[in-house]
Amino acid sequence: MARGSSGPDNRIAGGEGRGPGSALSNLVPFLAPNTGWRLARWWDRVGIWYLFLTPAILLLLVFFAYPLADSLMLSFYKWKGLGARKFVGLDNFEALLDDRFFWGATWHTLVFALVVTLGTVGIGYLLATVISRRVYGWRAYRIGFYLPVMLSVVVVAALWVRIYEYNWGLLNTFLRAVGLDVLALPWLADVKYALAAVIVVPIWQYAGFPMIVTLAAIEGIPDDLHDAATIDGVSEWQRTWRLIFPLVRPVVASISILQIIFSLKVFDLVWVMTKGSPGNSTAVLGTFLFRQGFETQKYGYASAVAVVMFLIVFTLTYLYQRLVKFDAVEF
Amino acid sequence: MRLSSETDDLEITERQASRGSPVAARILSRIMMVALAVWFIVELYPVIFLINTSLKTDAEILSTPFALPAAFNFLNYVRVWVGEGANNKPIALYLRNSIVVTVATLALLLAVSSLAGYALARGRFPGSAATQQTFLLCLAVPVHVLIIPVFFMMDRFGLRNDLIGLSLMYTTMGVPFTVLLMRAYFLSFPVEMEEAAQIDGCSRFGVFWRVVLPVSRNAIASMAIINVSWVWSELFFALVLMDRSEAQTMPLAVIAYAPKAMMGESTIGPQFAAMVTAAMPLILVYFLFQRQITKGMTMGAIR
Repeated sequence: MARGSSGPDNRIAGGEGRGPGSALSNLVPFLAPNTGWRLARWWDRVGIWYLFLTPAILLLLVFFAYPLADSLMLSFYKWKGLGARKFVGLDNFEALLDDRFFWGATWHTLVFALVVTLGTVGIGYLLATVISRRVYGWRAYRIGFYLPVMLSVVVVAALWVRIYEYNWGLLNTFLRAVGLDVLALPWLADVKYALAAVIVVPIWQYAGFPMIVTLAAIEGIPDDLHDAATIDGVSEWQRTWRLIFPLVRPVVASISILQIIFSLKVFDLVWVMTKGSPGNSTAVLGTFLFRQGFETQKYGYASAVAVVMFLIVFTLTYLYQRLVKFDAVEF
Repeated sequence: MRLSSETDDLEITERQASRGSPVAARILSRIMMVALAVWFIVELYPVIFLINTSLKTDAEILSTPFALPAAFNFLNYVRVWVGEGANNKPIALYLRNSIVVTVATLALLLAVSSLAGYALARGRFPGSAATQQTFLLCLAVPVHVLIIPVFFMMDRFGLRNDLIGLSLMYTTMGVPFTVLLMRAYFLSFPVEMEEAAQIDGCSRFGVFWRVVLPVSRNAIASMAIINVSWVWSELFFALVLMDRSEAQTMPLAVIAYAPKAMMGESTIGPQFAAMVTAAMPLILVYFLFQRQITKGMTMGAIR
């Protein structure tokens, strides 16, 4: 009873009551002698943890939960940003189904995520296998391959715009220099190549990430397994594919899903490189959402796009979380 | 991890297949080394090109993209320093904004997350499991989904074009991930020391502040390093929330300094100077804390 009715005063008193008991009972003489002590104990065992969590929860409520709920709501409305929102039911979603630019963006996003994941994880895995054998210069390779991961996506995107530039760009200058003038194409300006050209960039930038993770997994294989294999006289090929690969497969799987999720959210790269052009051939869900919202002020429609994006990413991430658990780690 | 179940697959014992001839093996390893070196050049040359180009004149950039500059030329840096070009502000302003946002975000994020992470790791209170689940679910939400309501909310609160507003948003975006990692760290932290401190009459918060935090400096530093790279590079929310150039951060500076052919500006060099300026802090962080970064990324990915 005391806990329920005692209200905010006791919370403050409890906060000051460091030691169990007596100080608090003196402060609140009209309560039963036991109550103060029990309250202090409750505070120390349970209440204080809520206080520890309060800042994080507050931030999440204001800047996460509310916008998320509002975004879901808004997808059922028509709204230009000013004035009243007009409820339209599922109209936005029906319009989405008929919008070929939306399907284009969805398709590009899926292709992007899939190819980028295959590329980064594939290359990263090969790099990790080679580096784990302590080839000459492995330290330099390990540091160098991860370096692009640290660059801002915006910097990388702007840099690759210059690399792909038709007249003086690095790629075309190189191709012309080795006599492959035919291949010197307007990479980002042609509907046929633009998406492929964009997809190459994150593979270049992020191959180091699966490499580092796979490398850690390979190096985590206990020595006695390697020794046992050596005694059995396995070839290096067998060691790589029949000993190492099965052991690191769970890590490769989890990093692949992580990379897919990460790639589905692509925005920065495409925005800086092409803004979705030419002819929407590189538009992805992120840029489609941005344009529908902040360029054409169709906020309800853009929210419907957001909801679709949310559903895709949320489902995948949820599945991923069911596969992988957050356990204790050490630094 | 799942070692025991996976070892069943290792039936190499019975399969003493013929080993490849040593010559073939040597050729294969040569090919491997060459491929590795080529990929190394592919990975690193663009970064060198970036720095190299920032030191060249526009004429050199156009005529000899591969060559070293005739003379190291810091004119591009001077141009971004004074903020040449329509609507561009001096790079120092973008840099200052980015530093303010990054420092504020990290300070807030680490304070909030270590408190919450500690509560989730140690607390036995009604709703602790549900809270933990909520953080996990937040991790599954793509933050892009929040952008429209956040834009209007920030507008209403007067937090658009406000560094504090952006920092609060970034902190929130970092909270779920950082809280869960901090929790995981505190779980591995020995309880005995905290119990001893409590017996000595230390309050919960006292234990956290005087005993746990000082010992956790490394973990907190790792969290800062893991988070600094995305906070420094974030574009989406900065693009939407910061439309006045006085309040823009470095990623927007890189966009602002892009050559604008339509406005009669075709200078290429300044953008490279802006790009190098944007990239340098993270490259520095990488070389200083290389071990923590790769370790932190591995942790963040595997679990």
